[in-house]
Amino acid sequence: MERQSCLTDRAVPVVADTSVLINLNATKCAETILDALPNPFLVVSEVILELKSGVQTGRGDAAAVDARHASGQVQIVQLGGTGMQYFSSLVSGPVAQTLDDGEAATIAYALEMKPYAIPLIDERKANRICAARFAGLVTGSTVDLLVQDDVWAALGCVRLADAVFNALHDGRMRVLPHHLKWVVALIGPERARQCRSLPRSVR
Amino acid sequence: MSEEGLDPVEVGRRLRIARETADVTQAHAAASIDVARTTLVAMEKGQRAVRTAELLPLAKLYATSVNALLRRESVYVDLVPRFRKLPACKEEASDEAVRVLETLVQAEVELENLLGVVRPRNYPPQRPLMPGDVRVQAENDATELRHKLGLGLAPVHDVTSLLELDLGIRVYVRRLDARVSGLFAYDEQVGACMLLNANHRRERRAQSAAHELGHFVSSRQAPEVLYRDGQENSREERYANAFARAFLTPARTVMQRFRDVTQGASRLTRRHVILLAHAFGVSREAMVRRLEELGLTKRGTWDWFEGNGGITNEQAKQVLGDTAAMNPPIDMKSPTTLRLSLLAAEAWRQELLSEGQLARLLRLDRIQLREILDGVEVEGGDADGAPKLPH
Repeated sequence: MERQSCLTDRAVPVVADTSVLINLNATKCAETILDALPNPFLVVSEVILELKSGVQTGRGDAAAVDARHASGQVQIVQLGGTGMQYFSSLVSGPVAQTLDDGEAATIAYALEMKPYAIPLIDERKANRICAARFAGLVTGSTVDLLVQDDVWAALGCVRLADAVFNALHDGRMRVLPHHLKWVVALIGPERARQCRSLPRSVR
Repeated sequence: MSEEGLDPVEVGRRLRIARETADVTQAHAAASIDVARTTLVAMEKGQRAVRTAELLPLAKLYATSVNALLRRESVYVDLVPRFRKLPACKEEASDEAVRVLETLVQAEVELENLLGVVRPRNYPPQRPLMPGDVRVQAENDATELRHKLGLGLAPVHDVTSLLELDLGIRVYVRRLDARVSGLFAYDEQVGACMLLNANHRRERRAQSAAHELGHFVSSRQAPEVLYRDGQENSREERYANAFARAFLTPARTVMQRFRDVTQGASRLTRRHVILLAHAFGVSREAMVRRLEELGLTKRGTWDWFEGNGGITNEQAKQVLGDTAAMNPPIDMKSPTTLRLSLLAAEAWRQELLSEGQLARLLRLDRIQLREILDGVEVEGGDADGAPKLPH
């Protein structure tokens, strides 16, 4: 099985979207992952706002990010002038070409730092929009984060498989098509069958 | 930066509705972005362009997103502000119910529009209240509507489906505060919509639905909250209650069934009431009160039953058997309706809306949304082997 991550440059900052933070928390070993990850890990304030709206339904994701921010593993960042312009272009217009604030701000911040940041976003529509509008912008996903060399080394194959299974099962993590085969091979067909968020064709 | 692609007047209208729904004053909103109140008023009228840097804090204050304010296809209906103007709608319970209704309606209409789904309307003509006894008018109007729907004098066993499928009214059944039985609102853009309390028994919900149908027939422009212990203190309420009774328990049919059920009996027993209520799908109390109203039993009969131990579910089980008497609460754990879930899943599959947009639209957190999407077969691809529809 071939493991591939877009995070080959250890210095490039990553900007995580809401979906990635929820998945990361669902792995049950987010602290180890962020400790191992050499890349600066950024979160835009719009994403924090969205996570806080989940507090009323009892989700602990906002508190978890707060704790990691306090420990220095996560940096919370604000859009600047250029980022605000990208953000504006991503939230207004025909619905099929727009994204919600957290997703848009994540991409906008990465564009503002371009070419030095990678947005992490597990969302097909967002990836489609990025590919169509921002040629050259590399985007990643939760799986890219999990299979980054240092994270892989820190967790080892067995713990990594557990982490991926937890993210799939508890966080209902979405997996982009090019990672599907590898993910199923990692967790095994038995556990893959328990993951409703995986496409039926690979379960 | 001016928000290209969207008419500033429409942006202003959305901002006003979002502010009023969030119950925020113009002064407070203006202060939050450090502008004068008159500037905010100009923004809401579309006379002053709104900058993204201003929209972000406003969206936060109004508990919405900049994208929800600026994407072209967003649907904004001012149900919450309209209900709030009602004198009886000051309670927190009804305010929350109205928010639920507004969220469901806005989400459903936006999803329908995106997917090109048309909900046919087959609304009956409005019958404004006339001078005289509104109860007589209600009986006539209910009979007229029954005929229009081809019901004749037969009992209606599923009034909710009838409203949805035969009339094209949007009906949602959600868990609400026990004090609220139902809500009704009408808006030209979204049509007629109702919210019924899933915590109430099926029979009570049927009565609430028929009551709201009465409002729809007589005075659809005015929104309405029906409370469980609401008083009949207006002609509109008297009409709606009488309409509900006539619609669910038509006089002639009740008389016939009463005659059949009580043949040979000298007293009205609990068994009679249980059988009649079951036949019409209404509560035992509603059945007895209808019998009183039609002169089939003397006034005060229900009070007598109540004073003598009532009519229990156990007794109903003995008469009807376990299955028929059982009225399990419907599963309303899902925060959306099945139809809404299907629409959401399809919009996501077609990449019309992202996970973040859908979560916001339905007011769910991401995992709740993912559970819904996973619960609906959203893959759709050939790999599923599912039969394709011809259209």
